[in-house]
Parts: sequence; structure tokens; C-alpha cells
Amino acid sequence: MTTVRQWFKAQGWTPQPFQKDCWKAYGEGQNGMLHAPTGSGKTFALWGGIVQEALKVKKHPAGIQALWITPLRALAVEIQQATQRITTELHPDLNIALRTGDTSQSERAKQKRKPSFGLVTTPESLNVLLSTKDHPKSFQHLKVIVVDEWHELLGTKRGVQMELAIAYLRSFLPELRVWGISATLGNKYLAREILLGPIENYVTVNAQIKKKIKVKSILPKNMESFPWRGHLGIHLLPQVLKLVQKYKTTLIFTNTRAQCEIWFHRLLESDPNLAGNIAMHHGSIDKKIRLWVEDALREEQLKVVVCTSSLDLGVDFSPVENCVQIGSPKGVGRFIQRAGRSGHRPKAGSTIHFLPTHAMELIESVALQRGIEQQQIEDRIPFLNSYDVLLQFLMTLAVGKGFQPKELFPIIQNTFCFQTLDEERWQWLLNFLVKGSQSLEHYDEYKKVNILEDGTLKVLNKGIAMRHRLSMGTIVSDADLKVRYQKGGYLGAVEEWFVAKLKPGDVFTFSGRNLELIRMHNMEVIVRKSKSKKSRIPAWMGGRMSFSAHLSDLLKKALFNQRNQDTPEFKALEPVFYQQQRESIIPQPHQFLIERFQTREGYHTVFYPFGGYAIHEAMASLMAYRISLLSPITFSMSFNDYGFELLSDQPFAKDDFLDNNLLTLNHLNEDLEKSINVSEMARRRFRDIAVISGLVFQGFPSKPIKAKHLQSGSQLFYDVFKDYEPDNLLYQQALEETFDHGMERGRMTQVFENIASQEIVWRDCSQPTPFSFPLITDRIRSKLSSESVEDRIKKMYLQLEKAGQ
Amino acid sequence: MKRIEINENHFDLHPSSAAFWVEKKTLLLADVHLGKVAHFRKNGIAVPRKAEGAFYEKITLLLNEFEVERILFLGDLFHSFQNNEWHLFSAWVKQQKAAMILVEGNHDIIPASQFEQIGLQVVDHFLEEAFYFSHFPTEKEENFIFCGHLHPGVKLKGAGLQQLKMPCFFQSQNQLILPAFGAFTGLHLLSPKAGDHVYVTTGKEVMEIEGI
Repeated sequence: MTTVRQWFKAQGWTPQPFQKDCWKAYGEGQNGMLHAPTGSGKTFALWGGIVQEALKVKKHPAGIQALWITPLRALAVEIQQATQRITTELHPDLNIALRTGDTSQSERAKQKRKPSFGLVTTPESLNVLLSTKDHPKSFQHLKVIVVDEWHELLGTKRGVQMELAIAYLRSFLPELRVWGISATLGNKYLAREILLGPIENYVTVNAQIKKKIKVKSILPKNMESFPWRGHLGIHLLPQVLKLVQKYKTTLIFTNTRAQCEIWFHRLLESDPNLAGNIAMHHGSIDKKIRLWVEDALREEQLKVVVCTSSLDLGVDFSPVENCVQIGSPKGVGRFIQRAGRSGHRPKAGSTIHFLPTHAMELIESVALQRGIEQQQIEDRIPFLNSYDVLLQFLMTLAVGKGFQPKELFPIIQNTFCFQTLDEERWQWLLNFLVKGSQSLEHYDEYKKVNILEDGTLKVLNKGIAMRHRLSMGTIVSDADLKVRYQKGGYLGAVEEWFVAKLKPGDVFTFSGRNLELIRMHNMEVIVRKSKSKKSRIPAWMGGRMSFSAHLSDLLKKALFNQRNQDTPEFKALEPVFYQQQRESIIPQPHQFLIERFQTREGYHTVFYPFGGYAIHEAMASLMAYRISLLSPITFSMSFNDYGFELLSDQPFAKDDFLDNNLLTLNHLNEDLEKSINVSEMARRRFRDIAVISGLVFQGFPSKPIKAKHLQSGSQLFYDVFKDYEPDNLLYQQALEETFDHGMERGRMTQVFENIASQEIVWRDCSQPTPFSFPLITDRIRSKLSSESVEDRIKKMYLQLEKAGQ
Repeated sequence: MKRIEINENHFDLHPSSAAFWVEKKTLLLADVHLGKVAHFRKNGIAVPRKAEGAFYEKITLLLNEFEVERILFLGDLFHSFQNNEWHLFSAWVKQQKAAMILVEGNHDIIPASQFEQIGLQVVDHFLEEAFYFSHFPTEKEENFIFCGHLHPGVKLKGAGLQQLKMPCFFQSQNQLILPAFGAFTGLHLLSPKAGDHVYVTTGKEVMEIEGI
């Protein structure tokens, strides 16, 4: 029988050192973590070891032996094909099955009857398997679980879901080997510890593949006309068209789906020759169309594809020669990943063109280039104490086999996420499931999880079990509605709140077409093609990302470092810098700049800590809170990666601000906590928590089920908990997540320590400065107030609907 | 509180989201959604039970404040099927002196006979003098309409890009929509036109808001 090495040779390949290292370590029964970029042969590095071992066994038992977890459904198909190919050629009897949300009911039944050797699946589908009654039997032969693209899961709640699943599987499969595959990360050790758990027999393998990445900024011919704000970048369309012509295939990365739609449209409009050679790819487009685009890319049938992060991962598109990034990629790691989509051919370098959508992003371009030079990849911050995910996991076990709390508790504590979970909070969670409260209530009809005679917690009610099965999975989004032509043919899905704004007859752009809304019916949006030129572009939620800590450091350095003055980006920025300096200053490392000016909208006070979006979001609330203690005042706040703005209808005095030393490090955590409570920043976090923990039941478009009188928004729950049960752990989790994850407590202290050593420069300006422009024009805002609601309302008015509307 | 006059009758708009018809000593309550919390709990969704008790506290205060001879529920009194909340409610009804009328709403799926048994009169709509009381907003040429159903709210704007969403009494030319009286009910935002009157309630005060 041939071995994996011989198979490699037969393909004309030479195993790379990291592949050999993985095969060896796997053969020795080790756990491990492989750091390797996409397209480097990482799949074979792990699957090779698994097949090699399988070749030694004469007769294989019926049952899954290897689980391969991948974060994206699209990737699952590729992995299944690749692993099946090598396996079939070496051991024709072994099969690799695929199971994702797209897998049909009959295929699932078949997999249950005749389990395959390997199974490629997603974290959500693994959870579905754990919700079956006989899962201990189906997994009894499981030897290994491989978690692919771990860096994508780490730092998300799906990562927590994986931690729980692995700890649980290990509890009855003590020999189970766990392997992770991840791109390079800032916090590699932590990434490994979280996935592999507290074990000692592990290896870390690094693929030494360095790729040359060239970054080029797309600069306008004339800086005078360069916008100070904006996020579309359309003004640079001619330059992008030129690039598209120059290269065989170009990928254009955008940050939001709306941006993606707009760019697709505008490109096609300005060069009709692109028709047939241009496509679009984002998460809301129907799966069939997406798969077609991916195939066409591989087969060199497309000249340009406009996409979002949906094409960040996996899937090898060798023909891609060039990438364009529109707007900030928000992190060095993501930028490298995207740049890596081009030049897949061996030894080919990657080129990525960065298109700044406004002037300030040019500085960012320089920062990104320095980051790549120094290989400064960011950390992924893991979640701690995600009670919502734990409750969901407990329900998953309870709808299947049930669980014994005493046995399960130490298993949960063994995960990184729940290492500090104590008896008291564990009991709280159990009470929540069994009693729906912490005290015994009279006349209460609460029903969810039952306690059986032997102490097992199990769901007996069929309706509750079904609702849980339908809402399993931690990825949260608004209810999606399918978009369909009247005569048939699906185009994809849009979020409900967007369609809610449309009336029949309205025209909107979706999937690159102008469509007229006919009606909504059964969670479907029925449309027909429209010739109208005017249309709305759907906006999708979730487009906000924060700068990583590294990038904000790089940004500061880029701004201050003299050697950057000669870069084309800084040369291009000269007029902007000139204007900034005329009204205000360009802050130097020892200066902390605050600008104040008045516009029609009110009094703007703008702070520039250069600390990244997440830090500024928290800092804005904190400063607003401290100022609001001086006298009743209401703030509307905006923040970006450079700084934040406090807008108010009345000014607060510069002297009051400076004399009271409001930028002090003292009482930082205390004030932060209070500002979070007052500003209700946690409200947004609670949305996910309510869905994941099963408070909000969304239902599914494809599986309409009766949930009569059970619909309610997460905001309503937030209010009820806040008013009637503030010690509820889910409510508390929202506050803590805001505190920990959003703003990274340690970093906040650093920012204030730094300010303490700086000179505070307060500038009263006669008009908005270039630095302030993106901030004051941002319409996504938070608020904080120390005025009574009644006092505020007295100053407010209603916007009347105009006649004829 | 805010007193308004319609067709020579007077109505006190109360911060609790109730309205009191002065001449007829009648309390108007829309969208109480009793039993909603219990219904959620019965289906495995742990809404704090305290949220339900809010109704009895609020109405007790109202009954002390006004001399109420009659309570008119403008629909959606109960959220769903019967549950334990029903017993609490019927016990409460027995202690009341005021007459009670329920104008049926879309959520009121408990049979009318059940309500009648505990002493409520159930009607599809209710007409008295020039006033028409219904659950759903509607149009009548001869009558002024009082209704609920929408859980009306408005978005307020102010200097400094300030915004607030508040529940309100929404009065158009021929109709007054009451805010939802129940806790845990949510808001539906309406866009006022010139000529509409909007009375926002903060829970403490009722304030008329000007439109521009």
C-alpha cells in the first residue's frame, strides 16, 4: 500500500518541512497547532497524518473517526473534495462526508445510517450533532478533531462554542486528539491554550512561508478635490478602472455589502465592456450565485470581482493577479490575508492597492505598510464568561441526551472561557433553565428544562425542544428574507429591517440588479426587474470594525515619524495638513489635542487620542459622563479610529474641563462602569446575547413555524431586566462584555497614563478642521445625558411629514 | 397630566398611559397585554415575573387618583391564551366597584363568555355620544375615535443631533390613539403631519410637542 509520501511524489510534489513535522507529530499521538497561511498546503499537512494512521488499520469500525471543523460553509466543500481525493487514492473504502446547514434531510439521514470515516462540518452543525440522543455512540470511534482557520473563530462566540464542544467530547473520549490550524496571530500561545485546553502533549508547528507583499496607495491627481470624509471612494473610480484593465484578474475588497453593491454598479456603468466579465460576491447573495462566481474565478472567466470579507478565506484563486482594498481594512492581519488572495502561484509576490476613501486614510496606508514590514499581526481577544453561549450549549445537551449537572460542571470549568465560573453562578444558570428565576415563585408556569428522578436535566416539552433546534448556532443576524423573482429564481437574502423601509413599487439595488418590490409574502421578498435608474442600496448591519491596537500604534508612529514625510501619501496630504495647521495643530507625541468649534448643529468638542475605535467609544462615554457631573448636559457622541467627538446643544467651559482634571487616571474603572450604565452602551451587546441565550426567537424563513405571540425584540428584554432584574447574569454579561471585549481594559489604562505625560492643547477653532471632519459628519452616534427626560423634551420638536409624502 | 377638550368633553391624559373621560368618569386603557410575561415563561423564555405586577400597581394609583365609575379597555387586554394571570386578574376584578367593558382586540383570543363570567362586558366597538371606541384605528365621519392597537411612539429631535423615542397619545383630526398601558410591550413609531397633536408621556409627565 502506498503511503502519503509516495502519493505526494506521484503528484510531483515535495512535502514541505511543516507538513512532515505535522505527520510525524500526529503519528506520535500528539495534539497540536499549525500556523500556516491559506493556500500553503495546510490541509494535507493534517489530513496526511490522519490517513497515514488509518492505513495501518485493517478493518475500520462504522463510525466517524475524524472531524474537520471549518468556519465557512463555502470552505467545507473544498476541504471535503481535497481530503476525499487523497483518501480515495490511498484507501478506497474510506469516505469523507460533508455536513453543513445546506445538507439535505435525506443526506443527514444517510449519514446517520452509514457514518463515514471523516466528516467536514461547521461549529453549528457539530452542535446539532451533540443535540442528538445517541451522540456518545456516534462519536465512540472519534480519534481526532481538527479546527481549521481557528483565528477566525477565536475571539468570537463561535470560538466559545468550539471550546465547549471539545471539552465535552473529551469528557467521554479521553484519547481524543485536538489540532488547530491558524494564520499567524499576535497572541499565538493563548490561541493554542484556548483550543487545546489544559494539556501537556502538544506541538506547535510554524510554516515558514514568507510572501512579499507590495502595497500601493491609489492617489488622486489633485488633492484639492480629495474629500475629507466619505466611505465610498467612488471619486477614484477612473484609477481603479485602469488597474482592472492592466491585470488579468482583480479582486476588489470592500468593507460592507452596501459598498460592494455600489462599486459593482459604478464600475459597470463607467465601462459597459465589463458586462459578463464582472461579478459580485458577498454573504447575502444566494449560495448558487456565489459558487458560480468562485468557479468562474478559478477558471479565469472573470476580469474583476467586487467582494466583501466573504472571499477573505480559503478557496484558492490562482488566477487573481491584483487586489484592491477600498477603505481601511482595520488591521494588519486582515490586510495581509486579503493581499494574499493575489499571486497564489509559487514564489509570486502579492500586490495590493489601497484606496483611501478620505484624506485621513492616507495616513493609515503608510501605517499599514510599516505594519507589514514589521509583521505586526494583531491579537484576537477571547471571550470570557459567555453565559449566553453556555446556556445555549446546556439546552443543546438537554434537548438530546440530557446532562447531570454535577458531572458537567468540572468539564465546563476546564474551558478557557469558563475557568472562573463558580458554584454560585453555575447554580444561577441551572435555575434559569429549570425555574426561570432564582426564587420559587407561586402560580408560576415556567417550563423549559425538567429534572428527572435521577437528577438528569432534560427537555421534555416538544415545542421547546423544536424551537431550540431551530435557533441553534451563535451567529447572529437580523431575520433574513429571501429575495425572489415573481416568476421564480432566488437572488439572495436581505435583512428584514431594510425591506421594512420599502413600499411596493420602490426600487432597490441588490445582487447588482435594480429590482422593484412587488410585495412581501411568507418571509419572501417578491421582486421584478426594474429599468428605473434611481434606486436604494440595501445597507447591511455589522459593518463596524475597530482598529486593532497595533494599527493605532502604527498610525500614531506614521503620523509623527519624519521619515514618512517623503512618502507619496504624505506628499499628497500636504494641502490637508496645511489646512489643519491653519485652524489647529497636528499633534506631536507629547501633545494631546482637543478642538472646540461651533456649527449649526451645536458645540463640537473633538478629542484625538489615536487609540482605535473601541477605546474611543468607551472613552467618549467616560469623558461625557465626567463632564455631565459638573452640570446637567446631554451629549451626542461619535468616534472613529483617530478620536471622538462630544456634541452638545450648550457648551461646557474649557476652564471647568481643565481645572477639574477630567482626564485623570484616578477612579478610571469606577467611572467607566458608571458611564456604561448611564450611556447604555451595553444595549447593543445585549442584542446578540438575547438571541444566543434563546430569549429572542427568530424563526427561520425556510422553516416557518408557529411562534404565535412569542415575538419580542431584544431591546424590550434589555429594558425589563434593567428595570426588574438587574442582577440577571445575561444583563450583567452585556455590561461586562462592553467593559472587557469592547474596550480592552488594560489598554484604556495605558491611554490615560500616556495622557498624563502629555501636554493638553485646547484649540478654539473658527470652523471644522480636516481631522475632525469624518467625526462630525458621522451619523452613527451614542448618547449620554445628565438632564432629566422632561427637561430634554422641553427643548425638542417633531419632524413633520411633508405634505404629499 | 394634560387635559384636552374634544366635542365639549374633557379628557385627562395621564403619564401612566391611561386617559380619563371626566364627564363620564370613565378610565380608558389600551393594550394592557396581561399575561404576556406568563405566556413567555410558559414557553421557556424567562422574563422576570415582576414585570407583570406593574399593571396592578399602576391601576391602583389611577383608581385612587380619579373617581372612576367605569373602565373601558380598548382591546388587547390579554396577550394570548389563558394562563395563571387570568386568576390574578379575575380576583382583582371582583374587588372593583367600577363597571368594566372590553372592546375586543386582535390578541383577545380568550372567549368573550369567560370575560362575561367574571363581570366584564365584551363588545366589538363601543359608541357613546359623539365618541366611537375601538381597538383598531379607523375612520368615521360622524364620530371622534378613541383606539389603541398601534402602541404609538414618536421620534423627537433637538439641537446637538439629539434624538429620543417616546410613547405618546397621538391625536389626528378625528382620532386619538392611546399608548400601550402594559409593561413589556414595545413601541411603534408614527410620523406626525401638520395638524396632528402629539402628547408624549415620560411616565412622570405628559407633554405636548410642537412639530416643525
